[in-house]
Amino acid sequence: MMRLSTSTMFDSSVAGMGQQQSLILKTQQQISTGQRILTASDDPAAAAQALMVSQSDATNTQYTTNRNAAQSSLSLAESTLQSVTDLLQAVKSTAVDAGNGSYNNSDRASLATQLSGQLQDLIGLANSTDGAGNYLFSGFQARTQPFANTPAGISYFGDSGQRNVQVSASRQVASSDSGADIFMRIKNGNGTFVAQAAAANTGTGIINSGSVLDPAAINGDSYSIAFGGLTAQAAAGNTGNGAISTPTVISQAAVTGNDYSVVFGAGGTTFSVTNTTTGLPVAGMTAQPYASGQSISFDGLQFNIKDGATPFAAGDTFTVTSPGYTVTDTTMATQVLPAPPTTGRVPYTDGGSISFGGMQVAIQGTPASGDTFSVTPSVNESIFKTISDLITTLNSPVAIPANGGSTSLDNNLNHALDSLDNALNVVLTTRSSMGSRLNEISSLQTTGDSLGLQYKQALSQLQDVDMTKAISDLTQQKMGLQAAQQSFAAVSTLSLFNYLK
Amino acid sequence: MTTNIFTAALTGMNAAQYEIATTEHNISNASTPGYSRQQVLLSPAVAQQFGSGFLGQGVDITGVRRIYDQFLTSQVLQVQTQASYLSTYNTSISQIDNMFSNPTSGISTAMQNLFNGMNGVANNPGDTPSRQAFLGSAQTVVNSFQTIDQQLTSIATGLNGQINDSVTNINSYARQIAALNSSIQLATSGGLAGQQPNDLLDQRDQLINQLNQIIQTSTVKQSDGSVSVFIGNGQALVMGNQSITLKAVPSASDPTKLDIAYQANTATITLQQSDLQGGSLGALLNFRDQSLEPARNALGRVAIGLAASFNQQNQLGQDLNGALGANLFNVAVPQVTPNANNTGTASVTGTITDVSGLTTSNYRLQYDGANYSMLRLSDNTVTNLGAGPLSPSAAVDGFTVSITSGAMAAGDSFVIRPTANGARDIALLTGDPASIAAAAPINGSAALANTGSGTISSGTVNPPPPVTPDPAHPLTDLNLQQPVSIAFNNPPTTYNVTGTGTGNPTNVPYTPGSSISYNGWTVQLSGTPASGDVFNVATNTNAVGDNRNALLMAGMQTQNLMANGTASLGALYSQLVGDVGSKAQEIGATSQAQDNLVTQTVASQQSVSGVNLDEEAANLIQFQNAYQAAAKALQIATTMFDTLLSIGK
Repeated sequence: MMRLSTSTMFDSSVAGMGQQQSLILKTQQQISTGQRILTASDDPAAAAQALMVSQSDATNTQYTTNRNAAQSSLSLAESTLQSVTDLLQAVKSTAVDAGNGSYNNSDRASLATQLSGQLQDLIGLANSTDGAGNYLFSGFQARTQPFANTPAGISYFGDSGQRNVQVSASRQVASSDSGADIFMRIKNGNGTFVAQAAAANTGTGIINSGSVLDPAAINGDSYSIAFGGLTAQAAAGNTGNGAISTPTVISQAAVTGNDYSVVFGAGGTTFSVTNTTTGLPVAGMTAQPYASGQSISFDGLQFNIKDGATPFAAGDTFTVTSPGYTVTDTTMATQVLPAPPTTGRVPYTDGGSISFGGMQVAIQGTPASGDTFSVTPSVNESIFKTISDLITTLNSPVAIPANGGSTSLDNNLNHALDSLDNALNVVLTTRSSMGSRLNEISSLQTTGDSLGLQYKQALSQLQDVDMTKAISDLTQQKMGLQAAQQSFAAVSTLSLFNYLK
Repeated sequence: MTTNIFTAALTGMNAAQYEIATTEHNISNASTPGYSRQQVLLSPAVAQQFGSGFLGQGVDITGVRRIYDQFLTSQVLQVQTQASYLSTYNTSISQIDNMFSNPTSGISTAMQNLFNGMNGVANNPGDTPSRQAFLGSAQTVVNSFQTIDQQLTSIATGLNGQINDSVTNINSYARQIAALNSSIQLATSGGLAGQQPNDLLDQRDQLINQLNQIIQTSTVKQSDGSVSVFIGNGQALVMGNQSITLKAVPSASDPTKLDIAYQANTATITLQQSDLQGGSLGALLNFRDQSLEPARNALGRVAIGLAASFNQQNQLGQDLNGALGANLFNVAVPQVTPNANNTGTASVTGTITDVSGLTTSNYRLQYDGANYSMLRLSDNTVTNLGAGPLSPSAAVDGFTVSITSGAMAAGDSFVIRPTANGARDIALLTGDPASIAAAAPINGSAALANTGSGTISSGTVNPPPPVTPDPAHPLTDLNLQQPVSIAFNNPPTTYNVTGTGTGNPTNVPYTPGSSISYNGWTVQLSGTPASGDVFNVATNTNAVGDNRNALLMAGMQTQNLMANGTASLGALYSQLVGDVGSKAQEIGATSQAQDNLVTQTVASQQSVSGVNLDEEAANLIQFQNAYQAAAKALQIATTMFDTLLSIGK
């Protein structure tokens, strides 16, 4: 049995109670703060990890804020573009209305007035700002009004910047779209090329917007479709001074587009017709008897030759051309149709398709000889220019022929409708891109929320005190301390001196 | 005969008185620290021979001894010096543990808010309140770093005071031990040879014990009764009645620290720190070098990493006024301290070149007369810097040193603390919300007249260093903002570049999606440009809505910018907290175990030397009875004597 010194008994009892008290203090602090880790030394690994997890959690929360910001700017831009879509559809239906053959100049002028109002609305929408006064469609230049009137029309003063937002740890999403892409970079024509009638055309040919047959064959050159033929001319050295009438087409189906020569035979009493394009005599037209004013018909053409003061002599010649068109690559200055070395023209069929360079267009109506149509690569035309041009067209008085319909008006309206369709297409594409970004954001929102929950759970597991256990610990420690105190009080009074009287 | 009876009774009474006095001495000193209970040594007096045999002469008091066990006492010394070391270390490290653990005022939250602020700027780059909020959180980060650094510095200052106090106490104990040696020598060499001055011995033991709680000592008992006290590897502190005086002096190798030295004649001899182990002084020195200084360096490293990274990225951007960005924060420079014994004239400065290479160690630049070398003090790794002159590009762990004037002599050294002042010197350099360079300084755009489907990215600024730096903005290229155009040829498979600084190359082959870099920027061209299409890269004007650079700055939060690309700033800070915490945990647990060991060892020692009052009470009764019995014997002797006398009457 070990001997005990009195001071050891007191010291160890007091030390024991001190230890119990510090345990109770710690448990009590854990309960009152709800934290298992009061200082890093309580659990260094968990404390360091908790710092990292809480940083990840805070970052995740920040991404939520970022997503909300992106969502609100995208939603605002999207709803603005929704209004732009509605407006462009209204403009388009006005343009369709304007093609109504029963409208007169003043009807069209009133449509133009209506369009002017719509153009101003569109400029207003394109210059929309967010709540903080930042323009939605000016790229990076948020405080610069993107669209303003200049002598050259509405110009863009922003830039092509697109602002990104960090929406998750690894993902940035564009929260803005440049107005240049939405309102300025709109291809005219059908998006690849523009088929357009020359303003000076006198016929009634109306060209459609065409389509792409073979994208690989498109070389970016400009083309011109030129109508010609249906002419008749006396050769300069003719002996006889009789005249030839302008040919007329009696059978469009038989027209060849070729060139012909009518040559008088001996004594000027017969004539023969040769197809100079093919170099072959025209069947049934060799050594035909000539009668002044008698109709001469072949290959769908009809004309007559009348005597003049001096009779025709052998060798007198008239050249006659069959109507049709040629297609020239104006960039390269080479003829495309008919393909060299073939000369002459391609016979024209109303509404028939014309294909060259991977492209196909169709012309309806009756183009006059000398009418030209151009097919050029599409260029960017702002939606504002399209509408301004349309307004100009509608404000220009046109003399409506009796049979109704003005060719140049129709061509201009077609052009405007094409461009409006393209503009609508661009706006819708942008909106759909915004929509998919919004979808991505909302799906990231869900992921972010569940990630946040996981972080909070991990943090809680790392840091939070197990209340049940802590309270049970506290009760146990309290009982321990009470027992120590009571037993100390009981034992410390035990002394032999108490009995020394 | 009668005399014998008288004498025997008297010696008995005398002995009982001695014993009662000793018992009372024991009772009085029951709680005196270091007191060993004493016992009266009795032996029977030499018997007198009478004819009928040897008759006892009573009792002899041969001495008073203390109940003392040399082995247990030295064991107590050993465990207590270690316990004192651990508990002092524990108290000291708990201070910084608590400081770093405070979650609400911590740097972790402040840094998080800083990056949140930058995200706010990225979401609303043109918005002054967002920018102001970022500057506010930047000031908070600066304040948190500085506050913790001030606390660490004040702990360091307090440590110097504690070291001075410890030295004073050591000197005082050494003098007292020397004085007691002298008294004990005197007491034992006197006429009472063989008798021990028990209370003086106890006092000396107690002083040695107290000295040991400050510093670990070893003792050697001399034949003259004195005790020699040694510290470390045999440095005498007390010899006989002489003691040496220690003092705290600024360290020669690093005058910002205190070393322990003693005066020998005229020379001041510094004690190696390895000689100063154990006890509270050993704990203070070790805590200073192994916990406090590394913690301050680690904190400084986070601050420098944060400040330098923001500075660099901000300089690659463009502020709200359209100018290239400037520094946002002040970044601390390495602290260079010359050795006090340097004989050369060199003055040395350090420069941080790469925050990702920084460690938390201190370094020593040394010159041996032929070569320079850099010693990393944390693990004694030496980097040879050659014969000099010191190359400005010879970076060691993310910093370089250069001799700005004079020259180092052989044996000269400088202590370099690259990150020590990082947290102290971090400061916000701007109060202007516009100075946050949220935008990028260049912008790529496609000409509106382009007919192809080619697109150009807005572009990014290449990371430094630039090929031809702008003297005014060393991190960016001289021609960064020169207008450059990229024009596609016919066919559009190649392009020509025109613009100052590009060299105007022609017929550069085009690969869709490829990066194109000139003048320190990079853009991506993709899609199918048509011939004649033009793309421009130029100054980013009026770009209040551009957030490209702000996104990059916000993204630095999760990038592994530090520790050679292995840790983010946040990770580095949590590592610091974890390191301090685990050291504190380790010391706390060991300290508690050591305290239990002390309790047990002291209990063992006390079980031999300690006073038990019950025992003393029993002794008191016993000695009282002995006295009463002896007195009764005397009374009997008196009665006998009286009887004898009455016979004669």
